[in-house]
Amino acid sequence: MEQQFSLSSEVRNNCLVITTTGYVNNVGGEAIAKEFARHFEGGTKKVIINLAQSKVVNSIGMSFLIDIVDQLNDAGGKMVFTNLDPAIHKMLSIMGLFQFAGKANTVDDALKELSA
Amino acid sequence: MLPPLPQDFVERLAGQISQFEEGFETLSKASTLKDMARVFAGLLRSNLQTAEPGIFHLSIEQKRWERFYGEDGQPFPETVTLPATNNFSLQHLDNTHTRIGVVQPLTDGSTLGVVLARKTPGGPFTEIDKLSLQLLLQLYANAHRPLLQRRNEKELVFSLNHRVLQLNSLIDTGIEVSKLKREGSLHQLALERAASLTNASRGLLVVSSKGQEIERYAFPGGKISVDHINTVHRIQSSFEFFNNTYTFELFEKESRAGTVPFDETDHILLNALARQVHASLENRYLLRQALEKQKIDQDIAVAASIQQRILPESLPNIEGYDLFGINIPSKSVGGDYYDCIPLSDGRIALVIADVSGKGVPAALLVSSFHAYLGAYLEGAVSLVQLTQRLNDAIYRASTDDRFITAFLALLDPKTGKLESVSAGHNPVYLVKSNGKVQELSAGGVALGMLDMEFPYQTDEVVIERGERLLLYTDGVTEAINEQEELYDNIVPVKEFIIKKRQQSAQEFIDALISDIKRFSGAAPQVDDITALYLIRC
Repeated sequence: MEQQFSLSSEVRNNCLVITTTGYVNNVGGEAIAKEFARHFEGGTKKVIINLAQSKVVNSIGMSFLIDIVDQLNDAGGKMVFTNLDPAIHKMLSIMGLFQFAGKANTVDDALKELSA
Repeated sequence: MLPPLPQDFVERLAGQISQFEEGFETLSKASTLKDMARVFAGLLRSNLQTAEPGIFHLSIEQKRWERFYGEDGQPFPETVTLPATNNFSLQHLDNTHTRIGVVQPLTDGSTLGVVLARKTPGGPFTEIDKLSLQLLLQLYANAHRPLLQRRNEKELVFSLNHRVLQLNSLIDTGIEVSKLKREGSLHQLALERAASLTNASRGLLVVSSKGQEIERYAFPGGKISVDHINTVHRIQSSFEFFNNTYTFELFEKESRAGTVPFDETDHILLNALARQVHASLENRYLLRQALEKQKIDQDIAVAASIQQRILPESLPNIEGYDLFGINIPSKSVGGDYYDCIPLSDGRIALVIADVSGKGVPAALLVSSFHAYLGAYLEGAVSLVQLTQRLNDAIYRASTDDRFITAFLALLDPKTGKLESVSAGHNPVYLVKSNGKVQELSAGGVALGMLDMEFPYQTDEVVIERGERLLLYTDGVTEAINEQEELYDNIVPVKEFIIKKRQQSAQEFIDALISDIKRFSGAAPQVDDITALYLIRC
């Protein structure tokens, strides 16, 4: 069963890793955007969104993720999604996010990709 | 006469034009309004030597100033009023003219608001500063237009992609719910998809029966609050299945600006998902039915196989007698049995029996009866004792609701002497030489019915040459036609046997079966039809 939204974040190898739990909707998307903005203003340009504990994303949550991808691309940064549920993977593909953001199986894989 | 221009005005203006061109290029590249505000703040600082400006935006929808740049907690000054026309407007915010508020209407109906303060010791804003500011605001307005266009294009692409996603997800959900084995998982998945596809903040599925709640699923986890239940923005879809009502309910459609009413597409999506769950539940039910039927068919096949194995493949030839028997099992498999068993003392045992009930249990009981009969027949006991032993054995081997009606007879083929006992079975007809029919029905209760040494009675007759004996089960007399009439009520077997008394044993049985089939027409055969016919030649 999908839980109420919560997130945690850490900076590893100069990359911001945001790990979410629960429904990524308006509340979840806004929380991710705020956490991203806090680090982005401080110069972080590599972001990993770990959706291991999130199985459902709606289009409002998705719009926040797209905004982050746009801002990172404009700033020469990059975002990588990890631990994607098949349904979310399909959703991100259809919405065209993988044209501008990467994907990896695990956070460690994403860190390797971003440090390459 | 106009006052003379300051000496460095032209140089400053030329430098500013160059900065404006660069500023416009940078502003045009901004991807968001906040990004634009950040760039614009830089232009203001460098061109007007101001302190950090406050940049605000007033959208048509929100009707309140939103700060895009500047110090937290600094609101847009209430004293700055919006211009009556679409023109730029500037107001001084203090007596020294070192702090000003400016508003610039934008093409989408929104308004840009700027609060500027002079850096000390810059002094008050001059007319040239105000002219430069007006030009900068115009630059912002011009760069704002393509940003809006790009944003509209992006929203259109997003909206189209979202429609594709909704259709795709609807198809995927249909496939996924049909694969899930647990109903709970099916309900949870459908609820999650319904909420996410419609951007609902919460979803609820309640399964109820006659107004009583049986099951409840909520998405996301946790309880649905009273605020959600009372929200005006909610939609629902329900269906009935096997006296249960399944009600899907979604609350508070989300948007970036807050909650909005659900639209027609949301209703269509929710109804479509509810229909998919309904179809899946129906398919599961039909599959269960099919599997149960398959199991029943297998049971019937096993029962039929048991029954067929214990029925005689052929009857013995008895010198001076013509004997023929038949068993036509019904589809649901009853428990009819017949046999003709030569004994070591030269006598012949004639047996016909019918087990109550149908299916595997009945077939197994017939099998037991067959085994006990074989074991007890050769013992030097009387027919009454044989029947009592069988009664005792069947009583122990069967459940309370199962018993066997049977007709057992011992024939001395040399003399034609026949001793018989009927354990609750149909009367056996003996057609005498004079054309009259004698019923052999002496006996007692059916086998396995009572746990006691029942005092069975016997009939003793002598079958003379030309006389005939018909043993049968109730599948013969109680065959039904399409009007649900009983065969024996319309065509009494007792009369039929007299009418056909010139025929051989096989001819008689064939005629009897043909007549039953003619009588039954399209009505199904509900019970086994078994008959044994003996003629003393």
